[in-house]
Amino acid sequence: MKLTSKAPVETAGVESGSSWVTSQAPRAVEIVKRVFGFPKMLVKHRDLITSSVKRELATRFQGTLLGFMWPLVHPLFIFAVYYFIFTKLLSFKMPNLQPGQESAMGVYMFIGVVVWAAFGESLGRGCNIIVENGNLIKKLAFPSETLPLNIVLVNIVTMMFGVAMFLLGTLATSVWAAPGIELVWIPVLILLQALFTYGLVLILATMQVFLRDTVQVVSIAVTVWMFLTPLFWVPEAIPQIAQYQGFIEANPMNHLVYAWREVLMGVQGVLGEVLNYTNYEAIPDHNGKLLEEINRLISEGMTVEAARASVGPDLVPLQMTHDLIDSVRIFTYWAVGMFVIGFSFFGLAQRRFADEV
Amino acid sequence: MASNEYSLEVEGLGKSYRMYQSPFRRITEVLTRGKIKGHQEFTALNDVNFKMRPGTSLGLCGANGAGKSTLLKVLAGTTAPSAGRYRMSGRVASLLELGAGFHLDFTGRANIYMNGIMMGYSRREMESKIDEIVDFAELGPYIDEPVRTYSSGMGLRLGFSVAVAVDPDILIIDEVFAVGDMYFQKKCVDRIYDFKRRGKTILFCSHSLYDIRQMCDEAIWLKNGNVAAIGNSVHTTNEYTSFQRDHIGTEGQSLSDEYPDLPSGATSGKKLPRIVDARMYRIGTDDEAYEIHPGDSIELRVWWENPDPKETPINIGVGMLRQDMTTCSGMGTHLDNVTVEGTQGCTVLQIPDVRLLAGQFLIPVLLMDGEGVHKYQEFLMPENLVVRNETKELGLFRMNHVWEHRHELPVPTPKPKDAS
Repeated sequence: MKLTSKAPVETAGVESGSSWVTSQAPRAVEIVKRVFGFPKMLVKHRDLITSSVKRELATRFQGTLLGFMWPLVHPLFIFAVYYFIFTKLLSFKMPNLQPGQESAMGVYMFIGVVVWAAFGESLGRGCNIIVENGNLIKKLAFPSETLPLNIVLVNIVTMMFGVAMFLLGTLATSVWAAPGIELVWIPVLILLQALFTYGLVLILATMQVFLRDTVQVVSIAVTVWMFLTPLFWVPEAIPQIAQYQGFIEANPMNHLVYAWREVLMGVQGVLGEVLNYTNYEAIPDHNGKLLEEINRLISEGMTVEAARASVGPDLVPLQMTHDLIDSVRIFTYWAVGMFVIGFSFFGLAQRRFADEV
Repeated sequence: MASNEYSLEVEGLGKSYRMYQSPFRRITEVLTRGKIKGHQEFTALNDVNFKMRPGTSLGLCGANGAGKSTLLKVLAGTTAPSAGRYRMSGRVASLLELGAGFHLDFTGRANIYMNGIMMGYSRREMESKIDEIVDFAELGPYIDEPVRTYSSGMGLRLGFSVAVAVDPDILIIDEVFAVGDMYFQKKCVDRIYDFKRRGKTILFCSHSLYDIRQMCDEAIWLKNGNVAAIGNSVHTTNEYTSFQRDHIGTEGQSLSDEYPDLPSGATSGKKLPRIVDARMYRIGTDDEAYEIHPGDSIELRVWWENPDPKETPINIGVGMLRQDMTTCSGMGTHLDNVTVEGTQGCTVLQIPDVRLLAGQFLIPVLLMDGEGVHKYQEFLMPENLVVRNETKELGLFRMNHVWEHRHELPVPTPKPKDAS
């Protein structure tokens, strides 16, 4: 046997090394190794991931007239429709707006829509991604965990178009004051959002391989989840909200969306101020009368504290997590947990994909 | 490198699929933790063992559904084995389907990049290879057109070019040799030979038994997921063909395999003409002979059956192919205006004075329709024709030639060119 003395291989090929491939299902140790090896995987397959994302973006807009304008147009229209319905028809509004902050409700909703669009779209598309690429998985040995990742990243990129549009809007117009130093949080939020979405998409895409009903359930669940997340409504402005407080707090997307809003809107501290003020308005007996009374007293010039005190001791303040750091911390738990569970789940089932799709 | 003496080792490899009749059965099985069995097991591959050294090639033959593709899929790493284990050393490139992963809206060039990257090569490597791949595919200006505009043959060219241009140590190919036109096929075969020479390991399956004989040292005959024969490629393919010969008609599967040009199922109910046997003899004798010298005379006897000669008139063709796929000769009854009549018989092709020089030649016998266009069957001689030279003559065949001296002839003066 003659060994060819070729130049050393630059990167590992599809499969290299000479370890046995067996019929055994991966053991727990291997799964843990894979989870920790995730960053390494990203580096190893960076070319694959970047070119897939580029390709996916290009296919979406290739041959279209507006091209890369589309990711902006879509959330804009969604936003416009919901804005009209919720603020004009249903008269939802921020509880206590200072003069000059009239556009707060619109900005609040826009950020929610943009963030949700990326998340919801990832779940909807990602759920089917493995089944859709069945032929590829059967015929080509490649890391299939990159497929859901591509979807998540593509949607993060389109979301960033929306964020960029918001920032340009604040700079160019007087709709809202441009945010400042808080913007340094953006990479953190993107990372956490990507991790959380990726973990969830991995779980759903795996389930879809084995049970094709999943995608149907997901499309319903995403819609329901969207309305349950405070995108178009302000929890603090709803008198009966206190009894649902735990429910809202348990929704990870609530924390994510809040964090985004805090980062993008928070330059004036408006969000915290407005919402913290209204904390006191939520009343456990949800008859709403006390709230009206407080509002009346405030409109007569009384301070918040005084108005609250004069209405009586029945008021139990709604204690939502309204702090950027807190929201980020809570969402970090969710993101890391979801990623670990999703990646392990996917890793366990991955070897059976080719037989099932 | 003692542990890496083999580039590929396969031990007791098996693959079975679970089939659920409905999603409810799957759910039931999951919920009862397997106490209520909801699936049926289907074994596609059972206890396969073999080892390959670098620089060798192995062919897989067998009927449709015998497990050839399953074995390749397992070794290519797209699906996990359900029994046994395998080990490979070196880079693996697999070509299970040409053009898998091509995106029709992108140009050929963009798809080359993407396909290479999906196979695990870096962007940098692909950049250094791109020109070579583009050259190999020979698609001209089409390389920068969307793949959507390609003919199917062009798509295949592109797929093959990517797979062989990257430089794997182990190449796994599933039935994709018949790519494009004769010219490109030749190019592909040359490339595969080149791989072999450079010490790469090649594993492939094909319905074309002469591809296997030509390109493989060893072959495996898979039958219903089991290894029916393993060893020297000529012997293994012979065992396979003789099995088919004996079982033709009794097993629908092997029948459709014997008629590769017909969709499976087309043979059922309809009696098609077939070649029963074909052998080669020294002319005028009953001595079977496959090793000859240039100038020997041979005859080929072809026994055939044609249950319905009115419906399916037949012609018989005989080809001679050198190992590198060069067609040296092609003879056919339709070309010589000989009619083949009757419901069965033996047609003899006499070749006095075989002019071929040293080499191994495949002798496919073809059973064709009345016009000599459609191929009912390709039959392989039990052995290749081996011609041994006694002289030092070079080339493919010996031309009729005479040498003589005419020293009186003057050197010709160059003709003045036409001043037009």
